[in-house]
Amino acid sequence: MTEAASEVVVRGRRQLVSLLTFRGRRHARADFVLGVIAFAIFIAAWYFIVIAGIVPERFLPLPSTVIQTMLRLLTESHFLNDIWVSVARVWGAFLLSVVFAVPIGVWMSNYRLVAALLEPIVDFIRYLPVPALVPLLIIWFGIGEASKIAVLWMGTFFQLVLLVADDAKRIPREFVESGFTLGAKPFQITRDILLPAMLPNLVDNLRITLGWCWTWIIVAEIVAAKSGIGHYIWSMRRFLKTPEVMSGILVIGIIGLLTDQAIRAWHRRHFRYL
Amino acid sequence: MTNASPFLSVRKVSKEFGGENRADSPIKVVDNVSMDIDEGEFVVYLGPSGCGKTTLLRIVSGLESASAGDILLSGNAVTGPDRKKGMVFQAYASFPWLSVLDNIKFGTRYRTDIGDKEKAEISKYYLHLVGLGDYADFFVNRISGGMRQRVAIARTLAAAPDILLMDEPFGALDAQTREFLQEQLLEICRVEKKAVIFVTHDVEEAVFLADRAFMFSARPARIVEEIDIASVLGAERDSRTKESEAFFNLRNHVRELMRKQAQQNI
Ligand SMILES: Nc1ncnc2c1ncn2[C@@H]1O[C@H](COP(=O)(O)OP(=O)(O)OP(=O)(O)O)[C@@H](O)[C@H]1O
Ligand SMILES: [Mg+2]
Repeated sequence: MTEAASEVVVRGRRQLVSLLTFRGRRHARADFVLGVIAFAIFIAAWYFIVIAGIVPERFLPLPSTVIQTMLRLLTESHFLNDIWVSVARVWGAFLLSVVFAVPIGVWMSNYRLVAALLEPIVDFIRYLPVPALVPLLIIWFGIGEASKIAVLWMGTFFQLVLLVADDAKRIPREFVESGFTLGAKPFQITRDILLPAMLPNLVDNLRITLGWCWTWIIVAEIVAAKSGIGHYIWSMRRFLKTPEVMSGILVIGIIGLLTDQAIRAWHRRHFRYL
Repeated sequence: MTNASPFLSVRKVSKEFGGENRADSPIKVVDNVSMDIDEGEFVVYLGPSGCGKTTLLRIVSGLESASAGDILLSGNAVTGPDRKKGMVFQAYASFPWLSVLDNIKFGTRYRTDIGDKEKAEISKYYLHLVGLGDYADFFVNRISGGMRQRVAIARTLAAAPDILLMDEPFGALDAQTREFLQEQLLEICRVEKKAVIFVTHDVEEAVFLADRAFMFSARPARIVEEIDIASVLGAERDSRTKESEAFFNLRNHVRELMRKQAQQNI
């Protein structure tokens, strides 16, 4: 064996050992390879199930059929419009949630009075199942855009406000007290110390909240909508167009994944100090 | 009684915690402590663990209020924390999202007595005073614990406090770094001529740094003995101070006091 080859073998073995070590070190490349392998096994199993006739193709189309359908749909303007409508609803409702949740959450952590007043009611509403609220929200807001935004807002605001309050509360006491002994007023401490200190966690929580938005938008669009990916998936179901249904789901997954990765990348770049 | 009011005056200060709820009876943590501190004086608080040193220091800073008694700084009652009472915490309180220099600069942020140009100059001055000139652009969690504590000291000094309050600032450091920082701190104090209250339970550190040391009893903290160290060792200290016989004797004396108090704790 050449030196280079044996080097590769040694390195490979070392990575394998560390993969099996309890809480072992992370190897980016090994992680990637394993991810690809698992994914390949999944796709292969899928092909096998369909080709072997275990599940009829009418219910489970081949992966290649789904991909082809999706690529075709992505050139059709009605589908692109559905995507755009859903993305706009998600981001609109998400930003509306953030605009309320961040100041109120920080305020709750700053003043016991606000927390004591709001915590019980927020906690109560948080446990109401969002799908159960949909009929009510439609009665209130009709079947236009307002009711979609309302569903998403109800589904995210109450969760987010508590996450923000928690993030703000977890800031070390020494940070706040340093602020006081350097001459800062409460609003200056909030602006110059609390917000920057909690920002990395906040961005993480926003990322997760954005993911929930995608769950609730589909719920809202399936129940009452004339457009959007959820509406598209639901109407294709009626004609048993399984490849189209799966394409719609896949597109949501891809959008979610791309957004998530983009935010993560921004997080890594922006919070280098972590 | 003289006319001139002392620089810092602790007057019959007591502190009880708890008792807000009817369920728990209040615990007394500081018991009728009085002392006067001069401008530029280095005072050390010594006492067994949990006796109330941190609490007393926090009362002086205004972060905690006394249950009874007053703190007067230059004749004015202390009612809350502000820039005049600079605090260096035991835990690393420097901000991880800022560089070393920006952390130090944060100390000048709320000063209204100087402009932006001076703020930048002062920050650079303190950066160099604590010997971190080469680390200006490092994030604080990329530097050692000793360096982070120097950042905290520089940041506090940059706010131009009247008095520097330090709660076991070197407690988490190894012996070598600790000794190095002790000498550096004395050097800084010589330049800055600021009053310091320094809490520690390391006897050697106390004797080496202090002009005057106060030994506190186990909880509730009462002053057991006031030890005038400057009159024995003089104001100037250096690395040889620790080898002198006077230092040795003082240290043994204080250690004996400390042992007696700690025993009452058990
Ligand atoms: N906010 C608080 N509420 C109730 N009890 C407190 C509070 N802060 C401190 N104590 C109690 O007061 C006592 C003195 O605490 P303090 O931190 O002042 O001691 P210390 O002398 O600084 O101790 P150490 O040397 O361990 O730092 C302790 O028994 C502690 O439990
Ligand atoms: Mg303490």
